[in-house]
Amino acid sequence: MKRQRSLLIALSTLLAASLATVATPASAQQAAEPNQVSDLTVRQADGYATLAWQPVDGATDYQIERTAVDDNGTATGTPTIVGVWRPNRQINQQSPTFADAGFNPGDRFSWRVRARTGTTEQPYSEPVVGTTTAPWGNPATPGEQLRTQWETTHAAQYTSDTDEYAYTAAIDQLSDRVRVVEIGRTVLNRPINMFVIGYPTPPATPAAVAATSPLAVNCNVHGNEPGDREACLIMARQLAFSTDPRTIDLLSHTTVLIVPTINGDGRAANTRGNSTGQDLNRDYSLIRQPETASYVKMIREYRPIAGYDGHEFGNSRAGDLPMLPPRHQNVAQAIFDESQDMIEGHMYAKGAEAGWWACPYGCEGGGNVGLSEETILRNTLGLKNVVNSLLELRSSGGQTRPDEGNSANNRRRKTFSALWTFQQFLDYHRAKLADITGARAEAITFQAANTGRLVFRGSRPIPAHPAPHPGDSPPPIDAPPADLILDNAPCAYKLTEEQYRGARTDGPGGVGTTVADRIAAHGWKVVKTADGYYVPLNQPERGLIPLLLDGQGVENLTDGERVYPTLTGRRNGPLTVSGFTCLADATVNGPITVRPGGALVATGSTVNGPIAATGAAGVMLADSTVNGPLRVTGTTGAVSVIDVTVTGPVDLSANTTGTDTPLIAGSTVRGPLNCTANTPAPINLGIANTVQGPRANQCATL
Amino acid sequence: MSYPRTSTPRRAARLAAAALLLALTAACTNDDANPDPSPAAVAAVQVSGPLCAALPTGTEPGNPTFLAGQPVDDALRWIPTITTFEAAMRASGLLTDLDRDGITLLAPTDDAFAAKFNDDTWDTLMTRDHEKLRTLLKAHLITGTHTVDELVTAGTATTVDGTNLTVTRTGTSTRFADDKAKADAVCADYQATGARIHLVNAVLGPLPTTADGTGHRAH
Repeated sequence: MKRQRSLLIALSTLLAASLATVATPASAQQAAEPNQVSDLTVRQADGYATLAWQPVDGATDYQIERTAVDDNGTATGTPTIVGVWRPNRQINQQSPTFADAGFNPGDRFSWRVRARTGTTEQPYSEPVVGTTTAPWGNPATPGEQLRTQWETTHAAQYTSDTDEYAYTAAIDQLSDRVRVVEIGRTVLNRPINMFVIGYPTPPATPAAVAATSPLAVNCNVHGNEPGDREACLIMARQLAFSTDPRTIDLLSHTTVLIVPTINGDGRAANTRGNSTGQDLNRDYSLIRQPETASYVKMIREYRPIAGYDGHEFGNSRAGDLPMLPPRHQNVAQAIFDESQDMIEGHMYAKGAEAGWWACPYGCEGGGNVGLSEETILRNTLGLKNVVNSLLELRSSGGQTRPDEGNSANNRRRKTFSALWTFQQFLDYHRAKLADITGARAEAITFQAANTGRLVFRGSRPIPAHPAPHPGDSPPPIDAPPADLILDNAPCAYKLTEEQYRGARTDGPGGVGTTVADRIAAHGWKVVKTADGYYVPLNQPERGLIPLLLDGQGVENLTDGERVYPTLTGRRNGPLTVSGFTCLADATVNGPITVRPGGALVATGSTVNGPIAATGAAGVMLADSTVNGPLRVTGTTGAVSVIDVTVTGPVDLSANTTGTDTPLIAGSTVRGPLNCTANTPAPINLGIANTVQGPRANQCATL
Repeated sequence: MSYPRTSTPRRAARLAAAALLLALTAACTNDDANPDPSPAAVAAVQVSGPLCAALPTGTEPGNPTFLAGQPVDDALRWIPTITTFEAAMRASGLLTDLDRDGITLLAPTDDAFAAKFNDDTWDTLMTRDHEKLRTLLKAHLITGTHTVDELVTAGTATTVDGTNLTVTRTGTSTRFADDKAKADAVCADYQATGARIHLVNAVLGPLPTTADGTGHRAH
């Protein structure tokens, strides 16, 4: 599924471009002196200005100078070197660009650029004068006129919790496109709000939102890294009120989910962790804390297919925008590849146009970062088959932005680079929706097939981008050590009553939710039989399950018992299932009957005969073939049919599975498909089935 | 929607919130439009030191003259390079004690805290060890409002935690030193109601350094 980079760049170039006019030197004279930069242009955008120029042969780097000017172009401030362009900023060296940012939006400046050969300064270009783009939104238009505390204080203050709530409520009230949902509460009982944004209105329920293949931005997990959050608040206003065709088009095709402050307690205290000191970005798989549990439940219900997670990072030598895909080796290849294409195919290409320096997290000697902990949202999302990336904002100006000793300049550059990234993320999603959903379908069917080794911790390599590239060194290899690889994956994990429902002490104040609660929050299927709780691996989050339930997991929840297949190879004659039965790479020549309370799990198997389950604890089939009818009724635990070919009718009826939603996804039915009186009704996770006969009742649109 | 909402009648709350926001916005806009400080504040406040250029100046929001008319907790929120100190003062509860009496704050910058404590140490102080945090912060507080010149003239000062500081001046630079640490003023003589605030470039007090100089932890 590796996609071609050149095609990606070509496609992304077709995306909606800025409507801003391009300023050029008043006198279009040619460079009068040797090595003078020529053809300087300045294009204004939200919070930054893109400078572009003709490269000078032999230049080592370029310096960007900015001077505040009045309406007549007369200097009112001191000329200042605000930027240094270096060749590793972008993938195309012949069209240098630099996103100048940090200024107060709306102010007017004159820019010049000069080359340096070695340390020798060459002549400056002719100046270009322009007025920068004022904070988004007409001050006279209701809704558009809203401003955050960060904006009104010219970045001297970050937006407080109470100002965020007021701003959020005002957008909610004034825009039909927005519904603000409280997805949970922090330890200190602060609301965790989420903007749900669609056009003309957002879909009414989480399931209806899920049907639009939504995308999600998590803005502020570390309380002391607030730059992305301010970008999210501004973007929410733009999406809520902008009437430009691009915004309307984007919101007409999907739903945008923005969680501005998952860690409200940490933000209020300016601490990395939450109020218990827990680093929430080490808790997305374990979900010991209410904040992360809220986010994971949101993912279960709204099913975003793509995500970004905003941070700031302290390495002064890194690019403007370090990014990284879900690298954990249990993430399906298709999700890793598509995430890499989002970063390298889209963000690197668009960054080279806009002048922002995206690069792999860990680039430029960034240290031992960007690793494979499944507890990090980046990896947890990947293990949930969500195409996604980390976003870092380089904390300091560093060597390439020497004017950021001024704290407001520094804050504005970070926030507006995040705003650019998130808006690009929306464009990427719009342009590549089919690829993303294709990767997701491939990933879910791969995971449900339960094939291949399991890795408890370890990363895929991130190859260096072909030089010239926006990062001199890729992040660490972080390969899994031998003792964290399990070649022989079990069929399921079995938990005891105590393991499943026992009291826990790993939450705030020494009180943790039960394993049952956390499994439910993740949305995993559980089958309860007479001898315990089984969590089969033939389900979409197969890569995540062992990390929490296997004794070998580096940060696990409990030491579940590995349960290996009970039937492999050929079996002739009828099969009656009463306890937990697991078929793996099996062929059954004869009918299968699942008796009340029994559980049938199958992967890679062929059943030549009907399957009939009545009152079963669970029926979970994946990557298999049934030559005969499949009839499942009265199931009490879990029903799942993923990537199964059935030659014959399929009937799912009167299954009452509680909080678990039956799945029929990516399957082929050579016959009719009927689903009647199931509670809840089955879904397909956005992966359509191929049905040659009629589809009836609850499965009419699956 | 399956998530619980707040119990407040929502529409009313929204309207009230929107009205509040508009009022806040209007207030800030007025501040921007009217560079004159409130009548209570008098002459322009002069701050001094190498870091001052990085902070709001002139008529920008948060400029030193504006802050002179603000309570100290509000003033601290306006100084963008001391967000760690400001949050710690609030988390420790010390801010509520400050309004009553004149006080001088030696406020270490965010860079100073980053150079002193790693994230784990700091989060522990902020979330679980408030007594230790209060002791640390008191090592940066001096009773009474003192200009930096007055402190230099006195040559010594006693902090609220009882530590004796020596105060010396070399050239234009003012140094505060206890028996374990020293800090230079980097932007001195901010004023707030009943308070002086001097920004310093290092953390004073008794706690050991735990930062290893590698900057932030990984995402």
